[in-house]
Amino acid sequence: MTYSPFTSWILDNGVSQQTLELLVSITIVATIVSIFRYIFGGKSYGIYCPIILAVAYSYTGLRYGLAITLVVIITTLLSYSILKRIRMHYITRIAINYCLLVIAILIFIIATYKYNLGLSNTYLISPLALISITALSDFFVKQFTQKSLKTSFSPLIGTIITASIGWYLITSDTVSHYMINNLWILPLLILLNLLIGQFKELRIKEILRFNSIIGNKDNAQK
Amino acid sequence: MLKSKGYKEILGINRRNQEYIRPYNSARAKNIADNKILTKKILTENGILTPKIYKVVKDRKQLEFLNWDSLPKSFVIKPNKGTGGNGIIIFYGKKKGETAWIRPNGTVMSKYDISLHIANILDGRFSMGNKKDAAIIEERVKTDPFLKQYSYKGVPDIRVICFKGVPVMAMMRIPTRRSNGTANLHSGAICTGIDIATGITTYSMQMDTKSLLSDVYEDVESTTDLEENKKLSGITIPDWNKILEIALKCQKVTKLGYMGVDISIDAEKGPVVFELNARPGLGIQAANKAGLRSRLELVKDVDVKSIRHGIKIAKDLFGGEVEESIEAISGRKVVNIIERITLFNRQTVPTKKRGKDDKQPSKAFMDTSILTSRIAEATANRIGFLSTTSYFNSLNVPEKFNTLKEAQEYIDENIQALTLEEGIKRIAKITDGNDVKIRPVIEITVGIAEEIRDFDVIIMKDLEYPIVIGRNELKGYLIDTTHTF
Repeated sequence: MTYSPFTSWILDNGVSQQTLELLVSITIVATIVSIFRYIFGGKSYGIYCPIILAVAYSYTGLRYGLAITLVVIITTLLSYSILKRIRMHYITRIAINYCLLVIAILIFIIATYKYNLGLSNTYLISPLALISITALSDFFVKQFTQKSLKTSFSPLIGTIITASIGWYLITSDTVSHYMINNLWILPLLILLNLLIGQFKELRIKEILRFNSIIGNKDNAQK
Repeated sequence: MLKSKGYKEILGINRRNQEYIRPYNSARAKNIADNKILTKKILTENGILTPKIYKVVKDRKQLEFLNWDSLPKSFVIKPNKGTGGNGIIIFYGKKKGETAWIRPNGTVMSKYDISLHIANILDGRFSMGNKKDAAIIEERVKTDPFLKQYSYKGVPDIRVICFKGVPVMAMMRIPTRRSNGTANLHSGAICTGIDIATGITTYSMQMDTKSLLSDVYEDVESTTDLEENKKLSGITIPDWNKILEIALKCQKVTKLGYMGVDISIDAEKGPVVFELNARPGLGIQAANKAGLRSRLELVKDVDVKSIRHGIKIAKDLFGGEVEESIEAISGRKVVNIIERITLFNRQTVPTKKRGKDDKQPSKAFMDTSILTSRIAEATANRIGFLSTTSYFNSLNVPEKFNTLKEAQEYIDENIQALTLEEGIKRIAKITDGNDVKIRPVIEITVGIAEEIRDFDVIIMKDLEYPIVIGRNELKGYLIDTTHTF
């Protein structure tokens, strides 16, 4: 693989190709999150969660990553629905939820392996990636306990969408190679975020939200 | 075209944060609104009523030594730095012979349950950024009996958005069964727009639970889950002027340039301030079917001299959804309550000049209780709209509809036929007592107060005067009620 002189210089000075690819991808995922928030009006669990989830998916593969995410969310919903009926402190409830999550994930991995559910070799899954996806439960529970189920699903879906786009960018050889050979993308992303930071117009979601007002300008007369 | 113009009137989160919250709300002022204890202290010092605090629990030690027997039958627990109504629990009564209290939905919480909830508040579960917090145990506001009839158990509150000393928009939030007695819109409370000038409710909306998108509203005409549901439009909010005055007073003492003030009406004390919001939500636009952005821009450069002046500006600018220009406030012409006007005949062929025979004198009644002007059918016929009225009458439009929604649906279904005649500009829905009617709107040319203007008028079958002029056309005029021409 050929690199630009600047990229070659970076790679010759202690930075591995994988590290460089991941670092550049992080900036892209961060920008995607900002576009998703301020242009589309979508919600996500901050900027950290989509980044960490995108990296985790790059280790597990998207299909397997999404399957584990589903297991995490279903287990969290079930365990929290039961646990909220028992009087206990908040953190202990979360701790029990984590214990149940570990059991559910173990069952999931064993079942995948034993019944050959068509997912990749379970031995190769990075434990850190698994832990990163499991941590999603914490973000979800915080929303779920404070707001409604529907409200807590909205940032979850936003997080998964942005993380999936991030996964594609991280794992696509063409994109990764182009990015690390064109590091001018980094100042460009700064500029783009500066522009998004100044964006004052309605978010796409708001246009849908207030559509009924716009369509009703000819209101009833008193 | 209308749509793109309409979108420019709406305030979105991006603009709210950048153009209104950041420049007009200092960190110090925001800190006051974000801290309920500090808010209460400042408001009380300035003579503004807030619910009385019974206890403040700042740490676990205070929770351990909390004197439960000293708590009254009904009270409210809320986090000091909570957001969006999270963590607020209302208790309506105490269980006989037990240290346990009853919630609006009938569930009972023991001393232990309440302690756990307070411990969660202290841990920061409901606070901004999940920082450690304090729990407030305060008086439960006893709903004004008039407003109580519209609410499912909880206390309805009124939110007034104030900007630079002017109350720009208001809504009432009505608790429902779905919202479990809270006035939180996301939980399912109904929001009802309020006309700033009169304090009369206009449109009502409720969060659409079926929509996949969050924050999408659907129209509601009446309360949803009371034994006898009541119509929500046309309610006159008690103490309206006092509410506006209190909202502006809160703005003055906190120095928040752009804020939301939540006020409830206590049966004994009158209006009391629930809380202040330095980042008020934008759902109020849905309740009022009007955009905040255009209103905020109108008052951006206005120099407000006093609270009374601020209220006057709001009533002049936003009353009855009339958004006059600032210039109109200063240079007004006086018209009599019954004024002599000139009606120009309908021009079928556009010409530059009108002759003497093209016009006829008439008299008009100035009526500020209606928005769009009205013309008697006979008068409309006389000035050349005979074909228009005949056409509309031939359509067999139902005489009345039960609801605005029903009328709108009829218009939507038949819009092409209804507006086929070239004289009909649009179709208007009008409320007449409990009935809703639909009538054609035409454009006429009128000479009034030495000006020649084009008016949109609704053709009415029965009208006491040949023409009645509504608020839409009375911008910039003062009405002299002592004289007729």
